[in-house]
Formats: sequence, structure tokens, C-alpha cells
Amino acid sequence: MLRVLRNRRTRGYVIQAAVLAASLLLTLSFVLTARDNLVSQGIATGFGFLDRSTGWPINFSIIEATDRSPYSRMLLAGFLNTILVGLAGLACATCVGLAVGLMRVSSNLILNVLGTVFVETFRNVPLILQVIFWYAILTHMPSPRAAIDLAGLGFLSNRGLMLAAPAWSALDLAIIALSIIAALFAAHRFGGTRPLAPWGLALAGIVALSVVLLFLGHEPEMPLISQPELRGLRFVGGVTIKPEFSALLIAIMAFGGAYIGEVVRGGFLSVDKGRLEAARALGLSNAQINRFIRIPLAIRAMLPALTNQYVWLMKATTLGIAIGYPDYFMVVSTSINQSGQTMELLLLLMVGFLLINYTISGTMNWINGRLAIKGRS
Amino acid sequence: MPGGALSRPPPAMAGRLHQLRKRLFSNWFDGIVTLLAGAALVSIVVNLVDWAFLNAVWSEADVSQCREVSGACWSVIDARGRLVLFGLYPFDQHWRSTLACLIIVITMILSCLPALWGIKRLSALWIAGFGTFVVLMYGGIFGLSVVTTEQWGGLSLTVFIFAGVFVLGMPMAVGLALARRSKLPVIHWLAAIFIDTVRSLPLLTILFAAAVVVPFVVPQWAQGDKLGRVVVAFAIFYAAYQAEIIRAGIQSIPSGQEEAAQALGMNYRSVVLDIILPQAFRNTLPSTINQVVITFKETSIVTIIGFFDVTASASAAVGRGEWGAYYIEIYVFVALIYFVFVFGLSRYGAYLERRTRLHHG
Amino acid sequence: MSFSRSLGLCTKKDAAWIAESSKPKEEVIMIRSTTKTLTAAAIAACLALPASAADPGPTITQIQERGSLLCTSHNGSYLGFAEVDDQGKWSGFDIEMCKALATAILGDPEALQLIPVSWAQRFPALQSGDIDVIIKVTGWTMSRDTDLGLQYSRPYFIGPTNILVRSDLGATSPEDLEGGVFCINAGTSIERIVADYMGARGISYEALNFEKAEELRAALYAGRCDALAGFGPFLAATRFNAPDPEGFTILDAVLALEPEGIAAREGDDGFIDVINWMMSALLMAEENGITQANVDEIRANPPSASVERLLGASPGVGERLGLSDDWAYTMIKAVGNYGEIYDRTVGENSVYKLPRGKNHLWSNGGLLYSLVLD
Repeated sequence: MLRVLRNRRTRGYVIQAAVLAASLLLTLSFVLTARDNLVSQGIATGFGFLDRSTGWPINFSIIEATDRSPYSRMLLAGFLNTILVGLAGLACATCVGLAVGLMRVSSNLILNVLGTVFVETFRNVPLILQVIFWYAILTHMPSPRAAIDLAGLGFLSNRGLMLAAPAWSALDLAIIALSIIAALFAAHRFGGTRPLAPWGLALAGIVALSVVLLFLGHEPEMPLISQPELRGLRFVGGVTIKPEFSALLIAIMAFGGAYIGEVVRGGFLSVDKGRLEAARALGLSNAQINRFIRIPLAIRAMLPALTNQYVWLMKATTLGIAIGYPDYFMVVSTSINQSGQTMELLLLLMVGFLLINYTISGTMNWINGRLAIKGRS
Repeated sequence: MPGGALSRPPPAMAGRLHQLRKRLFSNWFDGIVTLLAGAALVSIVVNLVDWAFLNAVWSEADVSQCREVSGACWSVIDARGRLVLFGLYPFDQHWRSTLACLIIVITMILSCLPALWGIKRLSALWIAGFGTFVVLMYGGIFGLSVVTTEQWGGLSLTVFIFAGVFVLGMPMAVGLALARRSKLPVIHWLAAIFIDTVRSLPLLTILFAAAVVVPFVVPQWAQGDKLGRVVVAFAIFYAAYQAEIIRAGIQSIPSGQEEAAQALGMNYRSVVLDIILPQAFRNTLPSTINQVVITFKETSIVTIIGFFDVTASASAAVGRGEWGAYYIEIYVFVALIYFVFVFGLSRYGAYLERRTRLHHG
Repeated sequence: MSFSRSLGLCTKKDAAWIAESSKPKEEVIMIRSTTKTLTAAAIAACLALPASAADPGPTITQIQERGSLLCTSHNGSYLGFAEVDDQGKWSGFDIEMCKALATAILGDPEALQLIPVSWAQRFPALQSGDIDVIIKVTGWTMSRDTDLGLQYSRPYFIGPTNILVRSDLGATSPEDLEGGVFCINAGTSIERIVADYMGARGISYEALNFEKAEELRAALYAGRCDALAGFGPFLAATRFNAPDPEGFTILDAVLALEPEGIAAREGDDGFIDVINWMMSALLMAEENGITQANVDEIRANPPSASVERLLGASPGVGERLGLSDDWAYTMIKAVGNYGEIYDRTVGENSVYKLPRGKNHLWSNGGLLYSLVLD
């Protein structure tokens, strides 16, 4: 018996060593072949190009990036664009998904039908087609000169949605940040034991403090709200949500919403009926059952599937390239074409996405761990 | 609440009315919701019918008629439909593309029949179907002219990528799942790292890398053409996802079974092939089909890296000349093509899910 | 490694090319010794074989072995240059040039595989060997020539960069477009040209980049952008194809004049020679009035010694390039001369009716000329 065990163990070691050696050899041969090919075609290698200026601008960025910015900054701008549209997309898709999922488990027939139509329509058509479709719709809006006036809130045209926005200076922002911290502290310190009380208190505190401080400390000549107005070919002032961003966001929202809706529905359906009946027998009201039994259990059941869905949606932002949204992938793709540093840039691209996705799944796993019911695996 | 209506016996006519009222107007809040949602539903349907049917042009290709109506211009399908369906495939050989597509569709339908469920039978079916497809599309024998892969396009390219990914990806997935379950730490960790990395990367970057980087890192004889590389890369991506599904399926089997089989003296191969895998697949059929559905939809991504699949040829079809204004019609047409495949598959998946649930009681 | 290449085609030139490729640079220290050994082996192997008189270089040998040329087409329709019709057939100026090159090398315009690639993918596709050559109105720029490891032929098209604007804006010069949105092909030299031009004049603008010509055009027609900056002939074709051509105007301003070259991988001089002489032959045919229709007649009765050589009536023109002697004759018979190609695809016999402009022979006020065939 011992000999057999030892034999098997030796065999295990041999197999492992062979597999390891084979993978290392394969990697090495890739690297060597790549080097040789690059050198023979006279292609420059290394990351030196990151400091060179790009010579081309991108049309949307939350940090300053112009045609004189170096590649490193342009890539960072693209990376932030991906995160921006991704996070906004996740938030919107979750809201839509929650609504759709609740519609589908609701007892109301019409809501059922609406929810089902929504899910089946948006889930069964490829995302890229939806992205292209929404973009086509958004760019067929009226021109800026004939923009639709949204009753003082802003304008809608084929250049995007122009919204009035608060014009805050750094001082204002600092004041708001301070008031948030103060309110959170107060809520934490003086809030009661009821679960929602601290949050309500915090919110009220933040609003009150910000309003007071803003009016007291605001520079007099600056308007609080910046209104968009047409000047020449474009709107000036306010914030502009570009159609590229909106189209991608709407598509992710609809497609992701349909999938998340199914996750939500699954979560609610997975709640054991016995528990609900037990709660009812204990005399809990419907609202109490929903709040203390049904929703917490459903959320726990949803989390793993939700994590997968989030990671998937984050990756789906790469489709922005089809409509000219300068996300990380598009900036990398253009950089590859303009600088020729294919390998280096693809490496950066992959590292970027690994970073994003490990962060998401890490966070979700942490939440999952916090929420897990004690005593059950 | 949910599921309640399902389990009850079918009510009589009066009971049905009552049921309907209960599901629409059970209280005042419900009533308001019903009215609002109903109004939204009606307005959507009316507008849609108005656009798609009542005000639409259905006649043969003539763009001047379309300029006069407010509804859909379906003539564009007549004018550009073939480009959408066949892409760059030689015009006089379109019958081959059609036939090849049909063969894969038939293979897909056949593999949905429980009678053919078995590793050997399914493999044989798919290899035969896929082989016939490739012979028809590529030609070069039986007097068929050679049509190289960069001329493949439209629906048959979509179907080819899908079928290729499935045929190559499935065995890879089984291998990866078993490797990840392996008791040998090196193999376990290599498989785990590989699967997790691939799953964290966007499909587009993987396909892009396959298209442009692989030729740099592998010697020329091992490169194949661009389509081949992309299909292999896509298959790896699919395999990483499918492997996790299979692993979950394996984990759902009570470990006693494996131990019992080993105690009976069965070797690893037959334990895996005869006991573990059949059950793992059966337990995870709904998720597998879900993954297959997702894969079918994701084939549309190849349009970004320069293939003429259905989505790309749709863009090409509206990009030129007088039909450019009727982009919505073309996109709806393509969306319907996808919808037929995907909706069919997912309905089938739902049917299987119900079936397994019934069997489990 | 360069194994496959050195095994496939062993000639003196190739060995030299391999040796060149292993020139010690600091980034190859790690593998230098390996490469050196291999190079030595390759040279030894190559010296053992008899070298032929005219060595066409690795690319041409590959093309001849494969029996077809891998040339670029577009991922969609790039009007006038590479467009796909309702039956999925390619046509356009660049496609005709691909045909001409295929005919020159293989004697058959159909010995051609047109690979759809996007703008962004043309260079990686060339570097990776998916295509043999880029004929895709590719401007000759310094970074492409150096960093990307490309080798350009002499220009085959002179392309002005213009701006196509919506007529209702009333703009007559780029200055009128202050603050406007410009649609530009992503990953092209136009991106940089516009940034430079507008930057130098202090005109602010917003660039919207698309990978595909379809999306670019759709955005312009829909009014997402005020202007489309790009290659002049493409703009003219885009205007022609608009739902309302009168609604669009091409501004007179020329942002830059860009020579479009045919690009191949660096380090294959033989292939570039063939491309350059193919261009020259097409132009020389036009200079001498040789057309698709009369080429047989002229070949039977050549007016000058150089025409006689060009059409392969007397030997010499093919052998030195590693091609057959009648390559130019076959090519002109198949696709016609430069002027015929132009007129058929973008010029007066096409729907676009573009004037020849700078793309005329020098004798007609253009910038094109043939090299001396001696």
C-alpha cells in the first residue's frame, strides 16, 4: 500500500514538473520569437513612447488631455473614461434591473408583461447592435440651433444633453466635503439604534450644512448654477453629456438591466416559501416580511450572480469603440496605430482590465462575506 | 405572490375573470399602476405597429417611395438584404453559404434532442456538421471553387464563428475544469490562474490580441489565418467560462459517488467519462445553454476587428448611397435574426430548467 | 525565430537580411548569442545553395509560393477607394492598385486576396504577416516610417486634406468653424494634421473619432459633427453619397498635402522595387498613350526602345525584378494605365467625377511622373 502511494506521489511530481516546464518553455519561446520578429522588422520596443506627445486629441475626458499630452496621460484619460462609463452603467443597470426584476415577480399582470417584454427584447439582441442603434437614434436629434429646450433644465440636441450644472469653486467643494464629514460624524455619534435613523440624520445634516455654508461663504460674483447657452456652433456653460457616452450608457443600462432583472427575479424566487410562511405564522406583516426576511435573503442569493454580471458589464464598455467613445480600449487601439507599440500597449490594456475586474470581484466578495449568514457555508 | 398562479389548476371562465381582476386591480394602488403601465404598453404597441406596418413601404426596392412616408422602409431589406446575409461571399456561390448555415442550424436542433445526448454521439454530430459546413464554405473539392476565409461573411460567418467556438471550446472547457479540480497543486494553480485571467479580460482585447499579437509570438507555421486565430482565441474565452460551469456541476455531485467508483476499481478515465461528466453536464444544462446564448451574441464583437459578420455587413449595407437614411430598418432586421436564434435557444434552456426541476420534484 | 524564413528561402540576400536583423542592439543582448548562432547556421545553409541571378526577396517569394497577393481592403466601404457593392464585390482605386500589383507579380488580377482591415489594424496586420502590402491611402509620415518599421514606395496618390462642412453653417474657411465638432477617422494621420492646423491658428474644436467610415459618414449626415476632415477625394465621394449633396460643401482650404504611399515591411528591398516600378510602368503607359485597348497593337509595333522594353517585347525589364518579362504588358492589359484606373474608379468615368488635379502627369500640371526605364 505504501509503495503504491509513493508511486502515485512520484508520478504526481513528475507530471507537475513536466507541465510547469512546458508552460515555461512555451512562454519563453513566445518571448524569443516576439523579440526576433520585432528586431527583424525594425520596430522600436520599450515604454519610452509613453513620454512622447500624442499629436491627436480625444473628444471626451474628465482630466485635461490634449494633442500635446503625452501617451501616458492620454491612456490615463481613457482608463478614467472606462471607469466613468462603467460605474455609471453599473449603477443604472442595477436600478433598472431591480425595477424589472420586481416587475417580473409582482402579482400585477401588466407589470409582469412589461417586465417580460423588456427582458426578452434587450437580452436577446447583441449589445454592440444596441449600442450602434442607440447612437443612431441620439445623433438623429435636432441640431444645436434647433435644440429641444428642456424648460430651463437644459437642452437636448444631436450634440448631446446640455444640462444646467452647479458652478462650484474649489472652496465650495471643500465646504461641502467638510459638511459631509461633520454630518456623518454627528450621525454616527448621536444616531439611534434604528437601522435607517443615522442615514436620515446624516442626509438632513449634509443638506442643511451645505446650504448654509454655501450661501455664507460663496463668492458673490459667481453664479451658483451655470446655464448652457448657444454661442456660435456650440453650447457654452453647464455640463454636456455627449451622445457617445449616453448611447453606451443606455445600451449597458438596458442590456445589463435585463440580465440583472433576471438575477433579481432568481433571487426572489429562491427564497424558501417555508420561511415566509413561518414569518407569517409569527404574525409579521407583509411589509415586515419583505423588509426583514424576503429582501435580505434574496440579496444574499443574488450576490454571486451579480458579481459576474458586474464584471461582465465592465468589460462590455470596450464596445464604446464602435461609436467613438474614447474608452481605454479605443485610446489603446488608436495609440497602437499611431505609435506602433503593439505589444507594450496591449500589455497595458490587459493590466488595466485585470485591475478593474479584480477590484470589482474583490469588493463584491467582501460585501458577500459581510452579509453571509453566520453558521452557514 | 410569484409562482402562485402556476401551481393552481386551470380555473373556469368566471374564475378566470376573477383571477384577471385580482391580478390587475387587487387594490387601489395596484389599479393605478395597472392603468399607467397599461397606457405605456398600449402607446408602445400602437406606435410600433404604426411605424412597422401601417405607414411602412413593403414594395420592391425603390427609394423614392420611402421618402414620402413616415413609417418604416422595408424595401431596404430587398435592396441590401443579400449583402447583410452573405457579406463578401461570391455572389454566384450564395447557395453554398445558405446550405452551410442550414446544416449548422440542423445540427443545433438535433443536439437539442435528448435522444442524442451522449458524449460520443454529440461529438460525432458536431464534428460531422461542422466538417460539412467548412467543406461547403471553403470548397476546393467536389468541384466547388475555393472561397478563402476573408471572403466569408454575413450570417454564415457568424454561424461559423459560433460553431467553431463551441466545437473547440467544449473539450477545452472539460480539460480546464478537470485541471482545476486536480489534486496536483501545480496543475490546479496553473488552471486557476489561466481561467481567472481570461475571465477578467474583455473578449475584445483577447480577440484583438489574437488578431495582431499572436503572429508576433508564434512561429509562422503555427499561425493559421486571422479567422482561425480569432476562433481559437474566442474558444479559449468560452472555455474559461464553461469550465467554471462544469466545475460547479462536478461539485454538485456528492463526493461519495467518486469514492465509491474508485473503490469499485474503476480507473480515473472511466470515472470521469462515465460517472462525473454526464452528471455534471446534466446538472448544469441551463447555465451551459445560457453561456451558449451569450457566446452567440458575442460573435458580433468580431465586427470591430474587421470581420464581415452580420453586424458589420449591416453597417456596410447602410453606409452607401441612397439607402443610408434607413439604418433603423436594417438594424431591426439584423436584431430580428439574432433574436430568432437567441430567443429560441433561451426558451429551450428555460424548458430544460423546468424539466430538471420537475425531475428533482 | 527567423528559422522558417531562412529555411523557406535561402539566398545571399536573405542571409544578409538575417544578419542585418541580428545586429547587436542593446535590447537584444539577452538573445544575441542565440540569434548569432542561428544566423551563422542560416548563412551556412544559404551559402550551400546556389543563389539565383535575380532574387525577388522574401515577400515576393512568399506571394509566388502562395499563388496570391494578400492586399488590404476596408472594413466597410471607403468610398471611391475600397467599396463593396450589393453583391459583396470590391471596387475602387486602391483595389485596382492591388489588382495591378497582383498582375505584375503573378500575371493574374484575380490572384488576389483582399483582406478587410480597419485603419487601426492595417499596420499590425502588415507587421504580423496577415497582409503583404498596405494599399489604403496611407500617408507617408515619420513615425510610421521609423517606429512602425514600414517601408514606403514612391507616392501613388497625392491627397489633400480638406474639410467637408454642412452648408447650413455658412462657413467659408476653417476659422468659421470655431468651436465646432470635427469627425475624423480614428488612427489616421488626419487626426494629427487637423490638430496641428487648428492649433497653429488658435481655433478651438472638438474631435470625434470613428474607426469605420460608415459611422463617420452617418455621424456627419445626422449632424453629430459640423465638419468632416479627411482625404479630399474621400470627402468628395462622401458628399456625392449624402442624402442631400447640396447640403454639404468642401472648403477651399487645404490643411496639408499628403503623399499616399504603398507600405510594406521594412527590410525587403526587392518587394519595394517591384512596387515602385509597377507605379512607374502605370504612369509610363499613360505618358506614352498605352491603354488597355491598344496595348497589343503597341506591343506588336513599339514606337520607342523604352516602350519596347516596358511591354516586354525586348527582354530585361522583368528579370532584374525577379518577374516575368511581360509583367507590365499583362498588367496594363488587365487594369489599364494610371489614368484609366483613376477615371474608372474616382474620375470622369465613375460616379464621383473627380478632376485629376495634382494626380495628373507633370506634363498636365500634376505631380506624377514615371522613372526612367533603361
